[in-house]
Amino acid sequence: MTGGDALAHRLAACGLWPGARIEWIGRAPFGDPLLFRLHGYRLALRRSEAERVLVRGVEVSR
Amino acid sequence: MTKPALAATTAQRTVALVGRANSGKTSLLMHLTGTLQRPVNFPGTSVECVESVTAARGVSLRIVDLPGIASLQADSRDEAVAIAFLRPPGGPAPDLVCAVLDACKLPVELRLLQELRRLRLPIVVALTKVDVATAEGFPIDVERLQQAVGLPLVRVNGDSGAGADALREMLALAALDVPGGPESAPEFAVPDGGMPATGLPATGRTARRSRTDRIDAALLHPLLGPVVLLAVLFAMFQLVFTVAEPFMGWIEAAQGWVNDAVDGLLPPGAVRSFLNDGLVNGVGSCFVFVPQIALLIAFVTIVEATGYMARAVFLLDALMRRFGLTGKSFVPLTSSFACAIPGIVASRILSDERDRLATIAVAPLMSCSARLPVYVVLLAAFFEAHIAGMLLLLLYLLGIVAAAVVALVLRRTVLRGGASALAMELPVYQRPRLRIVLAHTWHAVRSFLRTAGTVIVVSTVVVWALGYFPRSPEIHARFEAERAALPAGEAGEARRAALDAEEAGANLEQSWLSHIGRAVQPVFAPAGFDWRMTVGILAAFPARELVVPTLGTLYSLGKVEASRDAPDQRLQDALRSAKGPDGKPTMSGLIALAVMAFFALCSQCAGTLAAIRRETHSWRWPVFTFCYMTVLAWLVAVAIYQVGTLLGYGSS
Repeated sequence: MTGGDALAHRLAACGLWPGARIEWIGRAPFGDPLLFRLHGYRLALRRSEAERVLVRGVEVSR
Repeated sequence: MTKPALAATTAQRTVALVGRANSGKTSLLMHLTGTLQRPVNFPGTSVECVESVTAARGVSLRIVDLPGIASLQADSRDEAVAIAFLRPPGGPAPDLVCAVLDACKLPVELRLLQELRRLRLPIVVALTKVDVATAEGFPIDVERLQQAVGLPLVRVNGDSGAGADALREMLALAALDVPGGPESAPEFAVPDGGMPATGLPATGRTARRSRTDRIDAALLHPLLGPVVLLAVLFAMFQLVFTVAEPFMGWIEAAQGWVNDAVDGLLPPGAVRSFLNDGLVNGVGSCFVFVPQIALLIAFVTIVEATGYMARAVFLLDALMRRFGLTGKSFVPLTSSFACAIPGIVASRILSDERDRLATIAVAPLMSCSARLPVYVVLLAAFFEAHIAGMLLLLLYLLGIVAAAVVALVLRRTVLRGGASALAMELPVYQRPRLRIVLAHTWHAVRSFLRTAGTVIVVSTVVVWALGYFPRSPEIHARFEAERAALPAGEAGEARRAALDAEEAGANLEQSWLSHIGRAVQPVFAPAGFDWRMTVGILAAFPARELVVPTLGTLYSLGKVEASRDAPDQRLQDALRSAKGPDGKPTMSGLIALAVMAFFALCSQCAGTLAAIRRETHSWRWPVFTFCYMTVLAWLVAVAIYQVGTLLGYGSS
């Protein structure tokens, strides 16, 4: 997570905290928003929001 | 029972039902208290919550269903209200918190629970949707979870209500044992991953695709998804315009029956006219919208409860963002096609204040069903059937395009600001609960009748008074003399009805309303409206549908009903053949077009303005909405008439 504003807080409340595993599922027809799975539920994030999330250790599924 | 426990029985304990949206709080409340909820307003806000009272072990529990929160930091007005209830600046905090946690996303829920513990209030945990979590591939070991959390924890099932009795007991026990109690339990540790020992497999879900994954594969498909969305919207319009029709017909029939009863009971005069044309008309014109509002709210609630609404928002977000709105604006805006009032209320789901205000300001531009009687009578009078259908579609599009432009302008000017967050859960698909759908619908209808109903009735009565007074004794004497000279028999009766209608027309012509209409008419002259149409427009400001009966009276036709499918033939003829003092026709296809465009864009609904006032807590937004819509309507009507005249369509 980057930044310390309201959006950062909101994203943290959604489960985007350090070490959380997140899986990309898909995107809406216009390419935005994006759909992710984390902590067992489905979360839609706009690209602008997803850009605030730093990920490491990306694993490409088969 | 010990003494303190007995003392506690006399007091009522307040339990705050806290949890995320979609966590199953509402169905839990229903199972806990066994009643459909009683909506109450939080003091000083328009945010409504439901509360019910139940009892266990001799303790009376007042359970308040707070708006959903994701954390103790507010992100929307509703969240702020919920948090203020938990942490009141002055008043007493609730006695107890019942944290409703959705088992499907346990780690995030535990984080919320962690925050709730900082309130230093006793907490009882209600764990919902354990079965759904299992189906999603997350079997949960409830016992281990309870040990890890160290708080009283009850597994409940929102569908069957299993566990609700145990939860009620647990709440009563916690309420009786307030000092020390659950608060003394140790805080559980949240490791770096945010995951306390819950018995969840560390790697997350089992590999197989759940039911929701399979449904999403179709409903969020790049091609199939939008097709399904259009089908859902189509179903909604069918419901509002076709299914609601017979119910509306019954209400109109009932109104007619009351009108006739009043006619039979009272002699003609001010009292009878007040009752029939003022009061009954006003009450009728609110109730006639109840079927549409009820069906629409029921439909939206069902779509919401299944989990599809979040998918619709997901599919539409990028499109709506081009106009400065968000995917969530879609819900209030589609509702507004039936009636802007429930649409404006539905805008509460928008967490961002600027998005919400922009949505509220443009919602009345969606062509509501009250505009339809005006459209159909003018279309039928001046256009061929095949052109009329196309024009009707264009009128709906006009509203949509205007809304898009206005929203864009607002978001670039007075409501300028960065894009709000979406960060929205797409919940697991579920079957909607009939009782909750019914409760929501009943609630919406009641609040419509209360907010809008009062304003519509009062303003209808005001317009009635303006159209009724002053009475001229000369006119009455003249028509009485003519009536006295009538021959007996059938011909005399027919002439008598015509005379009555002419008298009503003559009276309206010299009423205050007509004086105002004639005084204002020059304003509408550039749009081609004569004084009669101007009076009709003025009469329609409290509620659009009033224009049809007003024009009926002005053209001396007696009683003319506003109809959505069978426009009054006599009114059509009268509009077509109406001539001004100079002998030229006062209406034409072009003028009809300008009138319809005016109705499409103008803010002619006191109920909508009252709803905006209520939802925005200020007079600024209703006044602004009224002004911009009326000015826009005038500009477009003038443009249509002037350009049309230049192109030579003036008399066609």
